[in-house]
Amino acid sequence: MNGVFHFFILALITVSAFFAIWFKDLLSSVVSLAVFSLLLSLEFYVLQAPDVAIAEAGIGAGLTTAIYVIALRGCKALKKSGGERR
Amino acid sequence: MKRQVLFLVALIIVVGTLWGGLSRIHQFGDPGAAPMDDYYLHNAQAERSANNIVTSIVFDYRGFDTLGEAAVLFTAVCSVLVVFRKGGHN
Amino acid sequence: MYSLSVIVRTICDVFAWFLAVFGVYVIIHGHLTPGGGFQGGAVVATLFAFLLVAYGGKKFIPFYKSSLFSWFETVGLLLFIGTGLVGLGTTFFYNFLAGQGGLFGSTVPIGPNSGVLNSSGTIALMNMAVGVEVIGGLSLILYYMFKGIRLYEESGSEETGHDR
Repeated sequence: MNGVFHFFILALITVSAFFAIWFKDLLSSVVSLAVFSLLLSLEFYVLQAPDVAIAEAGIGAGLTTAIYVIALRGCKALKKSGGERR
Repeated sequence: MKRQVLFLVALIIVVGTLWGGLSRIHQFGDPGAAPMDDYYLHNAQAERSANNIVTSIVFDYRGFDTLGEAAVLFTAVCSVLVVFRKGGHN
Repeated sequence: MYSLSVIVRTICDVFAWFLAVFGVYVIIHGHLTPGGGFQGGAVVATLFAFLLVAYGGKKFIPFYKSSLFSWFETVGLLLFIGTGLVGLGTTFFYNFLAGQGGLFGSTVPIGPNSGVLNSSGTIALMNMAVGVEVIGGLSLILYYMFKGIRLYEESGSEETGHDR
């Protein structure tokens, strides 16, 4: 049972990592990376490391996604203004 | 053609080393003999009176590491503040 | 960030404070349950990302007192180093409070048990110091990045969401 669960989570991690690279739209890629991080935290929990799982869920799935989205918006705004400000 | 041969050689080297390393890893839930682990497991609760032994290692026995981690976070905040500072020269 | 729709904002109002309480719980019970200062601080900092995404920058930037959180960062780091320095009579980071009675000083029974909150000496103090520092640090990173992005967007049009 545990082995099947492991295999399932690891397969989903591989799929989400593949989609993070495959998407041309960067926002979809960031969302796929968040899913990757959430599944990784589940895998840490299954491997009996709840400390690391909480840190991964908080930072990887929450904060990193927000920071990436803010950075993407910054790139878009910079491109629109021609990159001449500052 | 040459690139493909190079890729194949690199693939064989990487897979070979990974496979060699992973086949010698210990079983899950069955770590090898480590005297330090046993010391922590048997004495941490009596010495530091904390139930969470991971925390008592991170914040007490190895407190210096955590000091470095806090310093890294402080440096990250400082560098973000430097990059995104107000005004600049425009 | 645009301000998102009413559904998202209502869910944010309901669940954001559970998130804050859970983060503070993880920090305070760091020496009893899984987690600790860093993990709990990251969970509380996720609250600010949540508020920023749901309410947008126009409401978030006046709400967020950046000077308060710089004080959090400073005080947390200084408290952490100071707690280490007080134990310098024996070694750096010596646990001088454990098992002495008084503040965080009660002893725990050996073996599997549910634990005593008022135990573990400087470990609990350092958990709180690191937790406060991580709350300040991670939310300041979010805040400064978002403010820096707004500098570029000032030349553009007003913030117009796709659903508001």
